Amino acid sequence: MSRLFRRLRPPTPDSRLPRIAIAIGAALLSLVLLALSGIAFGHAPGELLSILISGSVGSKFALEGTLLKSVPLLLTGLSVAIAFRAGVWNIGGEGQFLAGALGAFLGARYGMAAALAASLIAGALWASIATAMRLWRNAPEVLTTILLNFIAIHLLGYAVNGPLQEASGKYPQSDVVAASLPAIGSSELHAGIVIAVVAAIGAWFLLYRTAEGLRLRASGFNRSAAKWAGVNVDAQLVRAMAISGSMAGLAGGIELLGVTHRLFERFAAGYGYAGIAVALLAQLHPLGTLASAFFFGALTTGAGELQRTAGISSTVATFGQAIVILAMIALTRRRNA
Amino acid sequence: MKRLAVLALLPFLLLACPRRESASSAMKVGLLTPGSVNDGGWNAIAYEGLQQIHKQLGAEISNQETKTPAEIDEGFRSYGAKGFDLAFGHGFEFQDAALKAGKQYPKTIFITTSGSSVAPNVSPMVFQLEQATYLLGVIAARESKSGKAGLVGGINLPSIASTFLAFKAGAQSVNPNFEVKEIYTGNFDDAGAAKLATLSLINAGCDFIFHQSNEAGRGVFQACQERKVRCFGSNKNQNDMAPDVIVASAVLDVPGAFVYMARLVHDHQFQPHVYWLGMHENIVSLVWNDKLKAALSPQTVAEVTRIEADIRSGKFEVPRGKF
Repeated sequence: MSRLFRRLRPPTPDSRLPRIAIAIGAALLSLVLLALSGIAFGHAPGELLSILISGSVGSKFALEGTLLKSVPLLLTGLSVAIAFRAGVWNIGGEGQFLAGALGAFLGARYGMAAALAASLIAGALWASIATAMRLWRNAPEVLTTILLNFIAIHLLGYAVNGPLQEASGKYPQSDVVAASLPAIGSSELHAGIVIAVVAAIGAWFLLYRTAEGLRLRASGFNRSAAKWAGVNVDAQLVRAMAISGSMAGLAGGIELLGVTHRLFERFAAGYGYAGIAVALLAQLHPLGTLASAFFFGALTTGAGELQRTAGISSTVATFGQAIVILAMIALTRRRNA
Repeated sequence: MKRLAVLALLPFLLLACPRRESASSAMKVGLLTPGSVNDGGWNAIAYEGLQQIHKQLGAEISNQETKTPAEIDEGFRSYGAKGFDLAFGHGFEFQDAALKAGKQYPKTIFITTSGSSVAPNVSPMVFQLEQATYLLGVIAARESKSGKAGLVGGINLPSIASTFLAFKAGAQSVNPNFEVKEIYTGNFDDAGAAKLATLSLINAGCDFIFHQSNEAGRGVFQACQERKVRCFGSNKNQNDMAPDVIVASAVLDVPGAFVYMARLVHDHQFQPHVYWLGMHENIVSLVWNDKLKAALSPQTVAEVTRIEADIRSGKFEVPRGKF
């Protein structure tokens, strides 16, 4: 496990072009393999690819669907990228996403700003439990963050079956949340997309244009060296995890306030884990996540259309994610060898 | 780099292949499920219903496994935009999206499995398995020697609690002092936990057991077989799973319900309201295990048959949970 993670560590800074080429190559490879897999289902690869593309970016309807799904992916991708940059394997995006949604639901009665702030804080606090366990007992984040996911899932289950269940008490879901993000024009899109893009630019600024970002990356790159250079690496860890968690929390809050408007047990649906693929394809670069979140959003939307029109299970989107991760590892290794 | 350039060109080469277009005037029916249609349970039976619609009504069918809430909205709107006649959402959580898409696409009819939201082109279908579990309660109370029956549930969901409520009502219609004990194991797949729960109910004196624990039901039947205690099957005809102890099963024909709704839409008989589907529509039934039925008192069988006829005709309404 740890060797795998070491492989995924941020590569040493060098010429930019090959790194982008690797990402584009991995993305294209996943598309080509997806299209070729259509042969197994009796469809021409070209037909599949054309459904995949027209179903994800080919119309206003499709493009809206893609952008809508890119928003949570972008934020969970940022969450993973920031943590990985700091050398922390935060794979608790799913739990922080749920914590953020719960926070947003409770905060919404005091208005939209309160709801968003609550989602940030809740995500940060949930991630900080893992940090606390690291500092207190040296518990590895890989373990604690993933276990915290399960706790969050059950916490949400308890909430929608208990204190937050809808007033009519019929189904295990909450009432409609008290605030909601405004729609953009007459589209299906909501203002969350603006927040997410601002967050991506903010994360880039933080990582590459501030002393805090330099310290964060330094502790991720070489913990001992950073320590001897005078960085308080423990405090750095606390802050990096909190920022990372707040991004995933914000994703959950925005999904609640912009898309579902209610909490229910199936709320997270894997956005936290998908964020890992988003961050890796982006090579842990905040601006890269803009493109890679859009790519995975398009893949999911296109896969939905693929199932509706060609009868191929939309699980192929997950298949695509896996190919991207594997291709990224394979191509990165070749380069290092 | 060269290799990458070739890779980059591949998709466009593939795009050049021609794409088939299909055009027909057949009824179009779509289905959104909350999970994989290969789950062998909740989603699989809905998918089977969709295929039955294709076979029996010649409808053009389409389905999507919607993993995220955003996909639910998108799936419904996509079916609306493509002029589908009917779109199913398989769960209560599809209600909000159905109402929203229903407003946008008035020509498509949106049906959710369970729920209560109704609009001119949106209705839920609600299964009345309670009608059969009520009868199981009657059988248990009339045939029990100890005056106690046990219920083993998976998760305490409104739909499950409601079938237990009906069982209790059926039993207490025979004997107001009949005792019904309930245990929820907290999940639907731990057969071991279900077996332990069943054993503890048997030890507490229950001599009839009914379960609502899906896959974990195997554990219930194992315990009943070991202790020679009679029990009932649920949802599917489970009589063959333990033919020595299962007296009858409360059977729910979910695929039949999908076909029932599609036929209404097909014949332009659809009216917006909550569709209660039960024995009258042949969606719910009580299936006896003939071998064990012969061992019951003739009065019990006669009484159950009489109540069953009253339920079917609508003369008697079975109590159910409020959801």
